[in-house]
Amino acid sequence: MVTPAIIADQLTYNYEKVKAVDHINFQVAKGEILSFLGPNGAGKTTTVKMLTGQLHPQEGKATLLGMDVVKETEKVQARIGVCFEITNLYEQMSAIENLNLFAKLFGVKDFDAEAALKRIGLDGRGKDRVETYSKGMKQRLMVARSLINKPDILFLDEPTEGLDPVSAETIRNIILEERARGATVFLTTHDMVEADKLSDRVAFIDQGEIAALDTPHNLKQKYGKRAIKVQVAGPDGKLVSKEIFLDEPGTADSMRELFSEEQVITLHSEEATLEDIFIQITGRGLAG
Amino acid sequence: MNWYSIRTLVSKDVSLFFRNRFFAFTTVGALVAYIVIYLVMPSDVDETLRVGFVADQLPQEISEQLVEESLEIYYADSVTDLKDAILDAEITAGFAFPDGFQEALATNENPQVEVFFPADLPQEAKDIYVLLLKELSFLMVGQPLNIDVNEEILGEDLVGQQIPLRDRMLPMIAVFILIFETLGLANLLSGEIEARTLEALLITPLRVRELFTGKSITGIGMAFGQAFILVAITGGLNNQPLIIIIALILGALLATGVGFLLASTGKDLMGILAWGVLAILILILPAMGIIFPGTITNWVKLIPSYYLVDTLNRAFNYGIPLQLAATNLAILLAIDLIFLWLGITALRRKIA
Repeated sequence: MVTPAIIADQLTYNYEKVKAVDHINFQVAKGEILSFLGPNGAGKTTTVKMLTGQLHPQEGKATLLGMDVVKETEKVQARIGVCFEITNLYEQMSAIENLNLFAKLFGVKDFDAEAALKRIGLDGRGKDRVETYSKGMKQRLMVARSLINKPDILFLDEPTEGLDPVSAETIRNIILEERARGATVFLTTHDMVEADKLSDRVAFIDQGEIAALDTPHNLKQKYGKRAIKVQVAGPDGKLVSKEIFLDEPGTADSMRELFSEEQVITLHSEEATLEDIFIQITGRGLAG
Repeated sequence: MNWYSIRTLVSKDVSLFFRNRFFAFTTVGALVAYIVIYLVMPSDVDETLRVGFVADQLPQEISEQLVEESLEIYYADSVTDLKDAILDAEITAGFAFPDGFQEALATNENPQVEVFFPADLPQEAKDIYVLLLKELSFLMVGQPLNIDVNEEILGEDLVGQQIPLRDRMLPMIAVFILIFETLGLANLLSGEIEARTLEALLITPLRVRELFTGKSITGIGMAFGQAFILVAITGGLNNQPLIIIIALILGALLATGVGFLLASTGKDLMGILAWGVLAILILILPAMGIIFPGTITNWVKLIPSYYLVDTLNRAFNYGIPLQLAATNLAILLAIDLIFLWLGITALRRKIA
């Protein structure tokens, strides 16, 4: 049996009286992309910190690549890459200097900073101080920094939050390239569309607990309602919207009735989104 | 310990330090300014005591006696001229005797003598000049005080070789440089905590102990480097260089420990400056005692920097041997280790 890349076993962390992460269990296979979805304060970042050795779990155990994160922090950290939620680059240094600094600390001898910058679309700006960069450029540089040591596991904490579409797409492409290289990706986000596009599996975390964990397809199958959204011409010529649920009894009759008695203007199939499912499972949205 | 990582960290910190225009300017600018001030200050001490008299009032035998006493006499044409000489700082006291002074003395008439002093002359000096006047009066009436005075100088007689003010100031300036470096180091560390770059560093194979080793080397190197340049250029290493170098290294270690403590207290540059100025004011107090001997008392020994200042002063200005400096250096090392431990502990808590 192949050892999972990540094993979280009863991981728990409280900030004084606030439960941040409460006895969570999950495994991530090698080469898998797992998205951790939840609103702000759900426990996503605390989980990442425990998995990456920045915080010691108060209960439970995290195992990465077969190594105990607490006992073998140094070895674990040599084989992971972390892209933080908050921009923490050396702003008074150039992008190349930032990357070379971390390459030295990781002991990567043949690191090519120019090539790394080209990969994230920052070629030509490598010698500029980071303080002159836009938020999107900084975020892409953070991703490049997390890839310096060709990590076996890549942790990305809200990597596309607040970014322009081009920067966000660049980062998504890199995530897919890294998976193709064989890296395991642990992604935290509250962008459900992004998670749906990228992830092999998603975990919903709410108030420090995992509320659901499965593939996006299975979650939609299990919790989502398939529907057809129709617009018909009303008596006064105005458009009237109707919704017909496919999985309910009498759907066939409703459809026949629609086409025989109404003038159908538009017709779309409608699939439940991960956000719909999150709300259904947790009873609240992602905004808070 | 991964020394390659530590070296990388130190190189990064030094580079960042000098990219901060404020600290780069104050570091280099202040060092240059200190050196220039030292070099333009007089390298010797004027030990001559000049006093003035209205020319026609002073009997020849008295003036000869005064010259014998190593006084330099200025003969003024008039009382106005005498006052001008004082105002122009040519003399430190001026005596104007009334007409018929000697006769009045001889007949016990209680004559009125006018003595002029500059405004900044200390009261003690004024009293001495008045005593001198009284002794002169005895001389003028032909009744010198029959006292044999046996002078004995304890320690090296520094007549003719007094320590110039600039050399008295040098240990103080060296301590200033070391202590002010705490602000730069604290800002560097606090900046890393604030920008959360420390988190990024600690997610690499770099360990916390290596991080603190790197920061300590940066702090000690920056502080010692500047102080060393100062004393090397100003000739401070001509006397007991070993003691001075050891003292400067220990001073740099003290600055590093205090810098760590400051970094753990302040959230940003303003916060660090608020605490830093307080710390600096306390730490430079002992240095003032060198410039103004006698102005501070024994309680100053409670201030950690006393042992640094005292060692530097005695080695640089008096050339004390290592065995006499050893106690001070040992106390300073112990204080350094305490401050370093306190600073690292406080910073670790803040980082956690």
